[in-house]
Amino acid sequence: MRGMAKFVEPVRILAVVLIALAIGFVITALVSKEPAQAYTALLTGPLPRISFENGFAIKNINRFGNWLEESTTLILLGLAVSIVFRARQFSLGAEGQMLLGALMTAVIALKLSLPFPAHMLLALAAAMIIGFLWGLIPGLLKAYLSVDEIVSTLMLNVIALQLFDLLLFNWLRDPAAGFVGTAPFPASAVLPLLIPGTRVSLMTILMLIAVVVAWFLMARTPFGFELKMLGANRKFAEYGGVNTKRVIALSMAVSGILAGLAGAHLSMGLLKRLTINLSPGLGFEGIVVALLARNDPRWVLLAGLFYGYLRTGAQIMERSSDVTREVVLIIQAIIILLITAERLFPFVQQWVQLRRSRGEAVVEAG
Amino acid sequence: MAALVEMKQITKVYPNGVVANKGVDFSVEQGEIHALVGENGAGKSTLMKILYGLEAPTHGEIWLRGRRVEIPNPHRAIELGIGMVHQNFMLVPSFTIAENIVLGSEPRKGRFIDRAQAIAVTEELSKTYGLQVDPTARIEATPVGMRQRVEILKTLYRGADLLILDEPTAVLTPQETDELFMAIRTLVNQGKTVIFITHKLVEVKEISDRVTVMRHGEVTGRVATRDVTEADIARMMVGRAVFLQIDKPPVLRGRVVAEVRNLGYVAETGRPVLRNISFSVHAGEILGVAGVEGNGQTELVEVMTGLRPATTGEILVDGKPVQRQSPRRIRLSGVAHIPEDRLTNGVALDATIAENLVVDRYNRPPFTQRGVLFPQVIRKHAETLMQQFDIRAAGPDALMRSLSGGNMQKVIVAREFSAEPVLLIAAQPTRGVDIGATEFVHTQLVAKRNEGKAVLLVSADLAEVMSLADRIAVMYKGEIVAILDNGPELTEEEIGLYMLGVRRQEIVTKAA
Repeated sequence: MRGMAKFVEPVRILAVVLIALAIGFVITALVSKEPAQAYTALLTGPLPRISFENGFAIKNINRFGNWLEESTTLILLGLAVSIVFRARQFSLGAEGQMLLGALMTAVIALKLSLPFPAHMLLALAAAMIIGFLWGLIPGLLKAYLSVDEIVSTLMLNVIALQLFDLLLFNWLRDPAAGFVGTAPFPASAVLPLLIPGTRVSLMTILMLIAVVVAWFLMARTPFGFELKMLGANRKFAEYGGVNTKRVIALSMAVSGILAGLAGAHLSMGLLKRLTINLSPGLGFEGIVVALLARNDPRWVLLAGLFYGYLRTGAQIMERSSDVTREVVLIIQAIIILLITAERLFPFVQQWVQLRRSRGEAVVEAG
Repeated sequence: MAALVEMKQITKVYPNGVVANKGVDFSVEQGEIHALVGENGAGKSTLMKILYGLEAPTHGEIWLRGRRVEIPNPHRAIELGIGMVHQNFMLVPSFTIAENIVLGSEPRKGRFIDRAQAIAVTEELSKTYGLQVDPTARIEATPVGMRQRVEILKTLYRGADLLILDEPTAVLTPQETDELFMAIRTLVNQGKTVIFITHKLVEVKEISDRVTVMRHGEVTGRVATRDVTEADIARMMVGRAVFLQIDKPPVLRGRVVAEVRNLGYVAETGRPVLRNISFSVHAGEILGVAGVEGNGQTELVEVMTGLRPATTGEILVDGKPVQRQSPRRIRLSGVAHIPEDRLTNGVALDATIAENLVVDRYNRPPFTQRGVLFPQVIRKHAETLMQQFDIRAAGPDALMRSLSGGNMQKVIVAREFSAEPVLLIAAQPTRGVDIGATEFVHTQLVAKRNEGKAVLLVSADLAEVMSLADRIAVMYKGEIVAILDNGPELTEEEIGLYMLGVRRQEIVTKAA
């Protein structure tokens, strides 16, 4: 039975994705004069083209790079959300933690001068630490004062954004720049490039390490077991001796580390500076990734790559056709709706079972 | 007097196979106060939920004022003049009392709610039925007793003639209970009919005209209250003691393993639930705790296992104080616990059997070594225990949800027994499990006793306590009123007198 469940789940998610893509195509067909072309751009845009015309060459490597860059951020955020969701803590604080992570890297990058690896490592550490602390606040509030984490994390997101703007405007801003932003980070605080012609950096490797670490943490440590038991039944965990308050607080704090790293990726890897409106709403995209992956870090890797592909394809489609990226937002929304309607399939099963058992009960009684 | 409500041959089978009502006949006459009594899980709430349209019966008919009716939802019940006041109140805390009462069918002035009218209506209802409330007070600022009166007024505002009160006194202080009873009498004088669900026999005697007793989903008695004594009702509730055949060698009482001294617990609401409790459990004996449910047994177990903090007093396990310590520390002192509410505390339905079996030990070798958890060891451990305790399931990775009640209980028993405790606390260990599993649990408890462990057995099933225990402590209103040596000369009637508070032993503490 369990083996079958393992098999059914990926199939179900694949079906959901295909249904969403199909509906997306119908909508594209309604709004576009050349839907096939637009959809081709969406579905194949992020792939590099291999050309043999003038000898072997790889074209559009930057698009491929965009995909990996986007996915790296999304996977880090997806891991962050998976950890809290595994413990059934509905923390929505990734956005704020990410912003503060980026902010801290700017402080370290611009206000300290250190040699290369130390400067970069210190900035990364600062982003992780601020993420940890910013996650610890709602964690402690929930654990010891029963403050609802949905409310507290959303409010902390607002505070984080104001802090971000405050420091950016008054302290970090480069007055010489023609826009609200800092000066470029010194090379010592920028993540080393991995693929020339793109912005794919060391963070993509760190992200892969993070996937392994998160998997290990959740599947191979007592803390991971505690997360799962807390998520399955808090009273049972308490009865068994788990210090649930500690686990609640830590789950949100550890999640913050990964969100902080995502922020560092934006500033130290992609922009190489800090700008206003860094990436509004990106923190919430981690939720989609975690939902697709069922909070399993191994699946987060795949879900993040898929979702990053879709988002990159959307940008390409927007540039190369008459369809706006809103179509992709619709596909996104449909995926979320179908995935979160997780009770749908079990519900149908239950209904069938119920009817059967009713029939049997009647037979027995009669 | 004609029957106002008649429920005929009501059967309710839940999708998971639990039979909550079996061919129940129930009738209430116009203008009476009818008590519906039974132990937890006897099926009384289910029966009333069917009457109020919250549950659909699998079989059976409902007749109201001589006509057959279908009640598919509470909305229909209200139309028919049936109102129900639930145990947990369903009020809007930030609204005033008047607003709560008219909520859903507000008097209007143009497009707006007529607040003055709402207050006037509330005052009038309050005066008519003698239910004192302050219409302008916000719910969050009012005491529990008043909230309950608001709930009752709410149903009256909607035109209820028949009021179902689900354990209305459970949350009330004695004074509030007296006030409630006065209000109920006023209601009946005004022509209303009241069904009163309870398991407190004193209240049945005090307030009701007639009583229906339920046990295991069936009606075991239907009598006029004045014709019976509390002891009679208790017998109908508990049933004839069917003594179980259990081979038990004579008790070899060893050292004192657990000692409870002057233990007290005051609930968050300020109600004292446990008072001055003292007893000890010796190695090699089963100390049974008997009592009508709701007399503090649940809290005693939860305080002893660290799930609630003791307010006063001491608990010693092997001479070391453990009161107010975390559940983990108490477990490490050698206490194991089979909890009363299996589904709330005892298992995680969405975790696997293997995971459920290690919730108290996952962080120790061999399951965790140098900070690394070994799922394979956890699986192996589960395979061993499943075989040893005859747990029928697809495998260690099967979800707890897929198990029957009896097998779930076996998982709990397997975990707690394999923890090698010095003190085993078993609360209602056979509630809701089949005969086979019941027998299994009983044999295991006796085996632990014979091994020289101390066993504290808390059960609402008097037959179970009398069959298994070497000594029996009886609880009444949060106190231990007697500690009796179990033997052939000890009768059910005698324990019954202590259970109902009719008799109490002098200097109980010395008897321990």
